[in-house]
Parts: sequence; C-alpha cells; structure tokens
Amino acid sequence: MSALELYSPTDLSEALRFMEHQDGKVAVIASGTDLLPRMRKRQISPTVLVDISSLTEDLRYIRSSDGVVRIGALTTVADLLESPLFDRELSMVKEAATIFGAPQVRNVATVGGNICSAASSEDLIPVFMALDANLKLVSAKEERTVPLREFIVGKRKTALKPSEILAEVSFRLPVGHSWTAYEKLGRRNMLIIAMVNEALHLTLEDDLRTVRSARIALNRLSRKTPALAVRTEDFLKGKRISDETVTQAQKVLASELSLTSDFRGSGAYRTEVAQVYLKRLVQRCSRQIGGPS
Amino acid sequence: MAKRAIALSVNGTDHPVKVDATERLIDVLRDMLNQKSVKEGCSTGDCGICAVLVDGKLVNSCLMLAAQCDGRRVTTLEGLLEDPTMKRMQGSFIANNAAQCGFCTPAMLMAAWDLARHAPRPSDEEIKVAISGILCRCTGYYQIIDSVREGCKRGGT
Repeated sequence: MSALELYSPTDLSEALRFMEHQDGKVAVIASGTDLLPRMRKRQISPTVLVDISSLTEDLRYIRSSDGVVRIGALTTVADLLESPLFDRELSMVKEAATIFGAPQVRNVATVGGNICSAASSEDLIPVFMALDANLKLVSAKEERTVPLREFIVGKRKTALKPSEILAEVSFRLPVGHSWTAYEKLGRRNMLIIAMVNEALHLTLEDDLRTVRSARIALNRLSRKTPALAVRTEDFLKGKRISDETVTQAQKVLASELSLTSDFRGSGAYRTEVAQVYLKRLVQRCSRQIGGPS
Repeated sequence: MAKRAIALSVNGTDHPVKVDATERLIDVLRDMLNQKSVKEGCSTGDCGICAVLVDGKLVNSCLMLAAQCDGRRVTTLEGLLEDPTMKRMQGSFIANNAAQCGFCTPAMLMAAWDLARHAPRPSDEEIKVAISGILCRCTGYYQIIDSVREGCKRGGT
C-alpha cells in the first residue's frame, strides 16, 4: 500500500489540531472497509492516514431529543440495527442496514464513512437524504452544518475541507402522518452494490389521502451520485393518492432520470426499476400510515 | 519508515509486534503469528475468507489495519480448537460433508461459531444471513447450512 504515515489521535480535538497543519494528501480512516480496497487498487494514494477509529467516545452514539435524531459519525451499521429508534416511522434505516454489505462489514462500517465515500454505491446516503439530514462538519477552527444533499458534489466528491471531519448526521423525527421505506436492487441480496436504490419519506394530510410532502432519494438521478427526485416530489405534493396519481408520478420520475448503462445494468432497466420502486414505496408508506394502498 | 510497536492479543496471548503503519491485520496474523487458518482471498471484502473476531465481533481481517487493533482482542480458529461449541461445529461440518475444497471452511466455522453463541436454534434464514459474507467457491452452501443448523444445537437436544 502506498500510504506512508498513520496518525492515531486519542481524542477528536487532537485529530482536528493535527489536520489543521497538514499539507500532504490526508485521508481520514475509520473502519477502512471502503478506503483500504481503494488504496490497494491505487484509486487514491494518501500520504497521511488519520485513524479516527478509536474516537468512539466522541463520535459513536445515536441520540434523540427535542424531535431531532443525532447519529455520531463512528456509529456502525450494526449499531443502527440495534436501535429501537428505527423500528417504526424510521424503519427504512433498518431496511437499508439489514442488507448493507454482510455481517463482517456491518460490524465495523460506519455511518460517517458511508456518507464521506460519496458514491452511488453507498446505501445509507439516499436514506438520510430522504430525511433531509444535515451534517455537522468540524475543524479545529470552526463547526458548520451542511445539508447532505449539498455535501455530495459529485462522484466521490464532497464539500468536506481537508481540515474537517464529519462528526454527526442529524435529522428531524418525522411528525404527523409519516412513514419511510427503502428498496434496493442488486444481483443478489447481500454484499452487493446496488443497481438501483430508492428511499421515500411520505407524509399525508389529516385526511390520510392527500400528500403533504414526499421526499424521494435515489442512488443515481442524472449523474452517478445520490440525489433527490425533486420534480416527482413537487408533482406528488397536494395530490390525492390513487393508482392514477402513482402512474403519473412514475412518468414524472422517468422524465427526470437520465441513467446511464454500465456492467451492472442498462439505463433503461434502471429507470424501469426506479418507477416500479416508486409505486411500491408509496403503497408501503401509505398502507403503514393508514391511507390508501 | 519507522515501524510502530503494538500489543495484539491473539487467542488470549499478548503479542508485542512491530508493524508498518499500513500493514493489514491479515498479514500480521498469517506471516508473523502463524495463524494460517486465516485465508487471503479477494482482499476487497467481497469473499470473507479472512474472517476473524476482533473484540468478539466478526470482521474481515483484510480490511483492517493491524495498528487499528492495538490493544484489542483477536480470535482466530486456532484459538477455538478446544472450545466445545467449535468442536461440535467442526464435527457437524465433517458429518455433513460441508468442506469441498476447504478454502472457505475456517471462515465458515468462525461465522457459524459466532452465530451459535447468539442463536442456539437458528432458522435457515438466520444461518444464511450469518454466512452471507463468506463466499464458498465450490457453491456447496446447502451442506454448510445443514452443518450450521446441526452444530448450533447443544447436547443432542
């Protein structure tokens, strides 16, 4: 492997102070399940690795207070599966975590690492995007909050500055008649990179028929990065849920997708699957809320 | 570059070793500490043949830096050879012809042992999930699933 130096801070502030004064190519390593294979394939060649895996006291937690859920960046995917917080309206978090990698990966892979990897293969990004998640980015000098949908600026590209570490993912607990659901298609059930994954956070009005808001996130929309299907969301807003509405929404979704083909599947097939998933997700959420299915 | 000294606890014995910063756990286990049950397959986390326990959690040792395991407890198959649950599991693997080429067998045994600790009577679905991160290149999964189901049962009950 090409990395030359490994720095192992004992707490977060020490890590941040170290990163303030680096001019080399610094990479932050948590569990390494994504970083190490990429280094071996020489897709990236950092000269300094900052190992934050032991900073669990600062960065590994799942908290819920005042209507906001906060997840520390070093929270593992296995931790998500153990939290009762994701048993009901937020069950899509567990749906995604259940089929994330395989047990050996889930035991160590972190929420923060998945987000910072910023590729269409990262199963958790659409989930948190559909929840309008915010990211807390910290450096020795400042702390700032960036919406996840603005954080991902391209394939494997994020808004993270070289001196910053992603510390926390946070989002509001769904209120009112809300539910979330997630679908993923790969060539097999486990340990597979998604061809399509799609997350929906649906909220209905008090009549349990009319859409108050819909948040739809996909692993790919028009580029090879996760994004929200905003035109489909706008279309659904204020509509009464029916077969007709869903069929129209599927057409809107197809019109805002421009998916390319690769060895995992063709663009046309991905588009078809994304449309089928939209219907399935709307039906599943609506049924859970008590609305039409 | 200077090597760093770390304390690795492997199968209950402390091993002070000196490693390069980016040396992987699998290489230290195999090459320095002679834990040859730990196999190297894909080296990208896709095949799971290098599975070991770190602080009681099943992980891929090819995706972990040895330096990140400083002060942590590593368990390999070699460390479980006298364990009653592992002995039962090995017997079940033999009785059910679960090993064909045998390359995935140590990792399968680790995953099976990890499952047996938590689920004395796992469903087939639970077994499939438990071994889902380990690739059997001979594709003899049904014999392995049968073996794990039987091996999880305690004392013939």
